[in-house]
This record gives sequence, structure tokens and C-alpha cells, in this order.
Amino acid sequence: MEAEALYPEGIERRAKKSFHIRALQGFGDTQIGPIYLGIWGLLAIGSFAITVLMIFIGYGLQVGWNPIRFMREFAVLGVEPPAPSYGLQFAPLAQGGFWQIATLFLTLTLVFWTIRIWSRATANGVRPLLPIAFGAALFLFSAIYIIHPISMGSWNEAPGHGLRAQLVWANNFSIKYGNFYYNPFHMVSIFGLLGSTVLLAMHGATILATVQYQSHRELDEIEDSTEGTHRAQLIWRWIMGFNATPHSIHVWALGLATLAAVAGGIGVITSGPAEPNWYLWACRAGITPGGIAACVPLP
Amino acid sequence: MLSYEADYRREAMGVPARASFGLFKTWIGRFYLGLWGIVGVLMGTIGSAVWLWQVVILDPTQTGNPLRNFVAGQIPVPKASLGMGIATTGADGLWWQVVVFCATITFLAWMLRQVDISRQLKMRYHVPVAYAAVLSSWVTIQIVRPALLGHWAEGFPLGVLAHLDWLSAFGYRYYNFYYNPFHALGVALLFGSGFVLSLHGATILSASGLRNKGVTEDNINRFYWDFFGYSVGEIGVHRLAFLFSVLCVLLSNLCLVLSGTVVQDWSRFWDFWNKLPIWSGFGF
Repeated sequence: MEAEALYPEGIERRAKKSFHIRALQGFGDTQIGPIYLGIWGLLAIGSFAITVLMIFIGYGLQVGWNPIRFMREFAVLGVEPPAPSYGLQFAPLAQGGFWQIATLFLTLTLVFWTIRIWSRATANGVRPLLPIAFGAALFLFSAIYIIHPISMGSWNEAPGHGLRAQLVWANNFSIKYGNFYYNPFHMVSIFGLLGSTVLLAMHGATILATVQYQSHRELDEIEDSTEGTHRAQLIWRWIMGFNATPHSIHVWALGLATLAAVAGGIGVITSGPAEPNWYLWACRAGITPGGIAACVPLP
Repeated sequence: MLSYEADYRREAMGVPARASFGLFKTWIGRFYLGLWGIVGVLMGTIGSAVWLWQVVILDPTQTGNPLRNFVAGQIPVPKASLGMGIATTGADGLWWQVVVFCATITFLAWMLRQVDISRQLKMRYHVPVAYAAVLSSWVTIQIVRPALLGHWAEGFPLGVLAHLDWLSAFGYRYYNFYYNPFHALGVALLFGSGFVLSLHGATILSASGLRNKGVTEDNINRFYWDFFGYSVGEIGVHRLAFLFSVLCVLLSNLCLVLSGTVVQDWSRFWDFWNKLPIWSGFGF
């Protein structure tokens, strides 16, 4: 297909030039760019810049605008959401207002980015599956930052913006709702996550092991499979009695990765409104180690 | 049998056996047998049978329900007083040792089976190498780390929810695993693996079966250049996949094996940061 037909140039434009990084040779393609800006790219960059600005103003206030302290404490600095007493109200800037503005623009960034991927997919003649897959991550993000806080009536439920802040949130969130290891949706999500890594290793290894038979030309192999695909399929058929096809392996891939994000989001949304304590849920289901007898009745 | 399979079986029959690879070269239905298939099935069956008998049939958790036993039951680790010794009774941890032994041999046999089949199919050895990464994780947690600390009790109990309890407690035993930098890298690569898998799956599916509309890998390249500025390429994406998933597991091994041996408190691990000489020059 003619590149020009796919690339209508208006106010939307891409960088004229591309360049090569030779160090990438032997790993992947060396060409960088040309990258496309476009209205959605511009909006995404703009709103992300506001997000970063809000977070850095918050950091700056905490370290008294001292750049050395800023570097020294960078990992532990955090822009926290408003205190529970503010509920879902707007808070003064230094008491959570920066967090609210930052989170709003971070959400907008992700939405703009999704639209950007969508428009680039259709403009280049491929189906918009990447933005749909990105929607799963977007769902997990909104479950954590928007849906759960609103359902609990307080922005304080959401993570702060900072390296340590979000780890502290992950740790406390699990404990607050009775240990996430007992959350069945969390279990499914972790299954999806670990399973994704296994599948990624299997697929990457299978293709790399048959590159000399051209199995990496996946779009062609989906249409008519050749020797590379035959060998890639037979190794798994002979090992475990089952094999995917060049098409179906990517359905498995997309499905498993999506499952991890969607199940994780459901696990977050149900924590609180549907189940305030997953340990007690496991007790009622009779699946705690040591049986029902091991369950400590809470006051 | 797949339509083209007979040719490859005939070709495999011509590959000479070397060492233990190529012994018992025959197929049972769709499965390849091979020496390591026999070893794997035998040891896997024994290990699974012992586990099911101990956890599901004997009903140690007294749930009275085999399905619940499957989730709630466990074979606990040997007592610390046993050290690295061999248990003789069930109460000492004999069944844990039996299952761990059987599982280790099964996993090893499974890897050698992958080597064997890769040989028969004239493939390179990426599949067994990737599997070796996850095998190394099992060996690190159940054998190497307990050996470094001097007792089997450092391993994890063999049960579905019991090993989750172990995992949860393990993190807090060394203050908090969220402060463990290798844990952080492992988790980043774990999420990264999910992300790469999703990207790759969605990318291929988005362009598959559109050949009659003139869609080729060029469209994918342009799509990636447009929105991201870089397209890693057809082989590159699989190298990325291999690297992400294998490194994820190897870094996780590191984060576990350092805990209790070298580092006792992962928050204190960071004490060096504030003592870096660079800060004192600025009056801190």
C-alpha cells in the first residue's frame, strides 16, 4: 500500500527525519522515528506535563525547593491524596489538591493516549486492537484511582504519586481488606500475570529457536504455515500433547494478559463494598490453611 | 497427527541418539516418549500421588470435603531441628522431602525432554533454556536457600493457600519486601512481561488476515513509529519477550536468596543511601 495514501498530512504531522542507533543491531530494528505528533499526541503530552508539574511542585514544597534534598529524598517523596475528612470534595492544594489535579490530568493523559493509538492504528490500516487491549490497563487504573475511591466516598483510598508512596499503598491496601492473598480475584489476576510471563517465555523461546526456518514472519505464517511453524507447533505437541497455531497463540497472549488486568480491577472494586475482609471470606468458604478451626473469630 | 507431522517424525527417526537424548524414541498418541518422558511421568506420578494422598485423602485439615482439602490442605515443611538431614517419619517432614525430591527430578526431566525434542526437530535450545530459568527458581527456593541457612524448614509448604501464607509472611519477615530492590525489579519485569505479551498479541491480531487489503508488517512498523517512535521488529520482539520473562525470574531468585542470608531487613538495606559521601559535600 502506498505510504502517502495512509499518511494524510494536515495540521497533523510527523517528524521529517528518522535516524538509526547502531547499538540496537543484533537485537531489533535500528530505526528510530519518524514519530507522529497529531492533536491527540499534543494533548497527551500537554496533560502529562501538567501531571508532572503538579507532582514536582508538591515535591518541591516538601523539600523546601532544595535541589540536593530533592535528589536525596526523591524515592521517598510523595504527593498524597487528601485526608479522609475531605471525602470526595476538593482539597486545598497542599492538602491533596495537587494530587487531585495530578490524578485528573494523568487520567486525561491515558485517555488521550488511547485515542492516539486508536487513530494511528486505523490510519495505518490495522485493526484498533492495541487501544482495546490498552483499555484493560485503563480499567485497572480507573478501578484503583477512581472507581474504588468514589465507591468508598474518599479520595484518600487511592495511592499517592511517588515511588515509595504507591508501594506503601499496595502494602496497606492488601492488609486493610484482610490480606489480598485471600482475594480470589487477586488470585486469578496473579495467575494471569505469572501465566503471561510463562506464555511470553514459551512464545519468545519457540520463535527464537526456529528463526532459521523463518517462523518469525508471523503474518505470513498465519496465512500459510511453513517449516518454521511446523517445527514450532510440533515441539509443543510432542512435549505436552497440545499446540497453538500462529494465530491462536496471539489470542492466548492477548486473553491471558487482559485477564490479569481485568481480574485485578475487579479485585480492587469488590474490596470494601462487596467484601470488607478477604480473610473472613476465605474462612466462610472454608479454604484457609488449617481449616475452619484456624480462623480467629474477630470481635 | 497433524497433516505434515509424519515427515517430521520420519526426519526425527534419522537423528542419531546422543548420550541420553534419543533413547526410547517413539510416540504414544500425540506425545513423544523418550527416556526423559518416562522419568518425568514416573516421578511426577509418584510425587502427585503422595501429595494427593497426604492432603486430599488423609484430610489433615478436617474439612471433610476433598475439593476444600485441595485448596486448604498442605504438607508442612520439616521442623528446623531436622537441619538438612533426611527425615524418617511423616512427622519429621518425610513427605515434604519425598514430594520436593520427586518434583525436582520431574522438572529436571521435563527440561531434558525439551532438549531431546528440540534436538529431534533440529531447533535451537531456547525453549529448554527458558524453562531452566523457572526450574532455577524452584531449586533456589526449595534447596539452595534452605541449604545456605542450614535447614529444610526454610522451604515453602506444599499447599495451595499454605504457600500463599508463606509468601505473605516471608515478605514481612525481612521487614517488608516492597523495600527489596530486586523484588521491585522482578515485579517491574513481571508487569512488563504482561504488558509486552499484550502488546505483541494485540499487534499481530490487529494485522492478521488483512493481506488481501495489502496490510503487511510494514503497516505495523509504521504504526509503531507513528505512536511510539520505534518498532523493534519481528525477531526483536521475540528477543524482548525472552529477555523480559527470563530476567524476571532470575531477579526474583536473587531477591529471595539474599533474604535471610545477606540481608535481614530490607529497609535498613537503604541506609547506605543517606550516607553517600556526595551528600556531605552539600551540608547533609
